[in-house]
Amino acid sequence: MRALSIGATGMLAQQVNVEVISNNIANMSTTGFKRGRAEFHDLLYQDLRRVGSVSSDAGTIVPSGVQVGLGVRTAAVYRIHEQGNLNITDNTLDLAINGRGYFQVELPSGETAYTRAGSLQLSPDGDIVTPEGFLVAPGIRVPQDAVSIAINTNGEVWVKRDGVVNPELQGTFELATFVNDAGLEAVGKNLFKETPASGGPQVDIPGAPGFGSVLQGALETGNVNAVQEITSLITAQRAYEMNSKVIQASDEMLRSVTTLR
Amino acid sequence: MDSPSYVALSSLTGRRRQMDVIANNMANVNTPGFQREALVFKEYLKQTRDPAAGPLSRLSLAQDFATVRDLSEGAMLATDNPLDLAIRGEGYFVVRTEDGERYTRRGTFGLDEQGQLVTRTGLPVIGEAGDVIVFPPDASEIQINSDGTISVRDVNDPLAEEVIGRVQVVRFENEYALQREAEGLLRADEEDPIAAPDATVLQGMIEQSNVSGILEMTHMIQTLHSYNAANTLMEQEHERQRKVIQIVGAPRATA
Repeated sequence: MRALSIGATGMLAQQVNVEVISNNIANMSTTGFKRGRAEFHDLLYQDLRRVGSVSSDAGTIVPSGVQVGLGVRTAAVYRIHEQGNLNITDNTLDLAINGRGYFQVELPSGETAYTRAGSLQLSPDGDIVTPEGFLVAPGIRVPQDAVSIAINTNGEVWVKRDGVVNPELQGTFELATFVNDAGLEAVGKNLFKETPASGGPQVDIPGAPGFGSVLQGALETGNVNAVQEITSLITAQRAYEMNSKVIQASDEMLRSVTTLR
Repeated sequence: MDSPSYVALSSLTGRRRQMDVIANNMANVNTPGFQREALVFKEYLKQTRDPAAGPLSRLSLAQDFATVRDLSEGAMLATDNPLDLAIRGEGYFVVRTEDGERYTRRGTFGLDEQGQLVTRTGLPVIGEAGDVIVFPPDASEIQINSDGTISVRDVNDPLAEEVIGRVQVVRFENEYALQREAEGLLRADEEDPIAAPDATVLQGMIEQSNVSGILEMTHMIQTLHSYNAANTLMEQEHERQRKVIQIVGAPRATA
């Protein structure tokens, strides 16, 4: 009875779907979060009666054969890199990227990760770091006696020091873009890593052609749309139920066979 | 001798297969671009031993004859993802696999590391001239209009658009002759693709599966009932034969 296992593939797929949706909803207010979408593919088809097989000695052929599909599987959990809303926070070190690009984060392991969550902070040494304390490339140090920090749309960090008239340029943030954003690997903590599918990073200053600009005092919220997620949740749950009914019905068919004697 | 059992059996095997088809439809209720299938039954006539009995001389069995794809269009879901494409009207996207070209209505595309337009399984999508479609690394603001022409914002001149290709959309004389393969792909063995100027490409949309839950549930209940009915028939036939053997085969008490 193929229907039993086909129903099971359907239930498994919908389970993954619900898991992805619940992760989206859980991260609704995570800064820089990119929502995921589970996508499904139909499985193999089994030819029970081949198309084009000869059906009589007069040479007539079967115009469409019997092909039975074997269910469904999760093809991909696809990340949608659409920009989220920009939330004005007026916090000096909250940076949002308006347009394409990622901040580069230097991990303790020496690798580079990428993030759009620009809720940055200062380390004890005055370095601009992520909330985890990882340095944001290229590494900008704010002097101890800084009174105010201004970051312009091109990522330049200008610091006004106590007793000095003119602000001083401390460094410039660089952004990285990828040919295929969706190919980036999410590693948690709002960080992404490059993969063969994403292609290598292209690095330039914010505001360069093809790169987004930096906005100080704003944060990019998650791009989760609550209404959309809830509707998907309803669809997923109903689909799960329907597949469980298929299993019940197949079970009933099998049971009636066993009572045949 | 026991033809009623065989008639019931022909129904049972057919219904079982129909259940498989319904199960596959239901499992794919959320698969983009999936088209539901229906199993077509036909009557299979078999001559009985008594040809003189006229029309009654034929035994009618049920045979599952073909699975047919339902070609109706699924509901369109707006995703706002620039590389999600749907086709309105008759038409298929063309993708290249190792075994030749395949056709699909599933337009959930992405880019690979070279910037090629590919399906979720990494198969390149074919453009109008039979070429792959490659996006420049700094492509932004991807626009795909209704005839499939892809343009991006020109890097050197932010006000100008640069056309980088056109997605090929084809149709077939007989769409039913296409063979299904895994992952939403279709294979054309005998049919040749022809241009589909009437098909409209929609950007930021996904064609959802055209499976309707209610319809499939109803079919499933129907299948289950007729399966059970055939089962009952088989049981009663068994009972009848048992009785015949009991009565006819019983040793006579008096001579």
